[in-house]
Amino acid sequence: MRKSKWLVSPVVLWLSIFLILPMAIVVVISFLQRDEFGNLIYQFTLDNYARFFDSLYMGVYWDTLVLSISTTVLCLLISYPLAYYIANAGATRQKIWLLLITVPFWINFLIRTYAWVLLLRSQGVVNSVLMNIGIIDEPLKMLYTKGAVLLGMVYTFIPFMVLPIYVALEQMDKKLLEAASDLGATRWNAFRLITLPQTKSGIMTGSVLVFVSTAGMYVVTDILGGAKSAMLSNIIQTQFLGARDWPFGSALSVIFAITSLVMIFLFNMALRSRHERAKEGRA
Amino acid sequence: MKKMKWFASTMLASSMIIGLMATAGCSPKKDTLNLYSWADNFDEQVIKDFEKQFDVNINYDVFANNEDLLAKLKAGGSNYDVIQPSDYMVATMIKQDLLEPLNKENIPNWSNISDRFKNQPYDPDNKYSVVYTTGVTGIAYNKKYVKGDINSWADLWKPEYKDKVLLLDDAREVIGMSLKKNGFSNSTTNEDEIKKAVDDIKQLLPSVLAFDTDNIKQKMIAEEGYIGTVWSGDAAYIAAQNPDVAYVVPKEGGTIWSDNYAIPKGTKHKELAEKFINYMLDPQVSAKNYESIGYSDPNDKAKEFHSQEYLANTMINLSDDEIARTEWLMDVGKTLQVYDRYWTEIKSGRE
Repeated sequence: MRKSKWLVSPVVLWLSIFLILPMAIVVVISFLQRDEFGNLIYQFTLDNYARFFDSLYMGVYWDTLVLSISTTVLCLLISYPLAYYIANAGATRQKIWLLLITVPFWINFLIRTYAWVLLLRSQGVVNSVLMNIGIIDEPLKMLYTKGAVLLGMVYTFIPFMVLPIYVALEQMDKKLLEAASDLGATRWNAFRLITLPQTKSGIMTGSVLVFVSTAGMYVVTDILGGAKSAMLSNIIQTQFLGARDWPFGSALSVIFAITSLVMIFLFNMALRSRHERAKEGRA
Repeated sequence: MKKMKWFASTMLASSMIIGLMATAGCSPKKDTLNLYSWADNFDEQVIKDFEKQFDVNINYDVFANNEDLLAKLKAGGSNYDVIQPSDYMVATMIKQDLLEPLNKENIPNWSNISDRFKNQPYDPDNKYSVVYTTGVTGIAYNKKYVKGDINSWADLWKPEYKDKVLLLDDAREVIGMSLKKNGFSNSTTNEDEIKKAVDDIKQLLPSVLAFDTDNIKQKMIAEEGYIGTVWSGDAAYIAAQNPDVAYVVPKEGGTIWSDNYAIPKGTKHKELAEKFINYMLDPQVSAKNYESIGYSDPNDKAKEFHSQEYLANTMINLSDDEIARTEWLMDVGKTLQVYDRYWTEIKSGRE
């Protein structure tokens, strides 16, 4: 028992120095005031939180939620069939597929995002090809739109969804499916009643990862969105730099962290209620 | 237990190696001048020459924006000897007592600087700063797509440039531009004037392709945008890559900016820092440096050492007329929050 506790101590130390301490500083600053140069004034205030309820910032918050949820849903719709296919492929093929999924991580994320700029811009690869084969006469406006931002987010975060779902599918007891088919279940019913509930944990893990990462990502909106559709993370960045308003930026960060926690809590609730229902069903 | 020993000795060995590498980098005899500036802001050879001539090491560290620089100085213990803040940041740093007054006796070459760039409002007697380079925010446009004379900020609003207008990704620059268009100061604290300028920009938004500061050059070169607010130095860079691009300082005037030398409080090498500034202002060194980096050279005495090509470039060497109709961005104090809230409206398309 003592031995296993000792194993945990580096993690605890790491988390307290690099996670808990900075987070605590952010929370403290979010209740402080500042002067016009951005220097902190050590007086308690709730104004930074009150400012968030301005319809402007609430609107940006709403936009951020909509984008993050859309990204999560799209990633799920694309990733589940892919993960299912990989999990059911032969052992060698599985390895190749998993390698292909992780290959993009070998290349810097910024460079991959700029590659999308080269593809989508008005003189870009896609428009040139379409114009040369005569499908369109004028370049399509694809870059610097909300659609381009969504595309960039989905592209970036698909691996975060595929891998957990794949792991869940891999760990599933395949004998259950044989039993179902022996008992006359259709393939769809077997999927709906056995595979889907068994891989719920993978779906939840993937969804949490994608949702939180999308909401915190500000580079994609700048590069692919032309910095025209500011998300909460872009506003936070501005507060810490140009606006010299660390307290307001910190308050927004705290609100963002709470949102992420609430989302994780909701996902977990959904997961647990499934389990409980399943147990009740068996009893 | 054996494993623990192995672990401990590895840790010990690796920390010793790291320690050795750290000390091997700098020889103990030489002084080190710690320079903190923008990326690629100096010609490498000029820096090397200084190291040789004065038998010192220069440690060149880079920041990406003025706010980073300010944050690092305020945190303290950064040990920088020469920094390069922009105009308004010099004013901010003076107000916060972060800069060391310069001893002009150690910088005799200061007299080489053009009078146009001495004693500017952000540091009226040049007590704390010496200009390094300047530029003006004007309009860059591609003559292939933009026909006719461009001479006013209002030209950006023309409907034919829908989806082709580029704006800098900076609150003060963009709102300042619209303030100039409406005949106001770019640093007004009058909220009615700011509101009028912002309403104008909201009319322009449907035409805006993108907000961008760092990559606006690539967007103009690749002809993604036809017209936009661009710094004169960037315009020179763009025109060198795409000869169809022209540049104008609109008749309403534009925002002028400068990067400057300054010495932060608490430096251990003040005299060496002043020697460095003086060396950089030497006419020949100066010419060599600015030819290489392609920014404007405020050094009057350096003219005879510059190439014809450099002197003929009207985007690097702005005329007296153009400079005369420019205005510095001044610190707006508490009104910055008003600018910031409007900026969020502009960037999010919400109210």
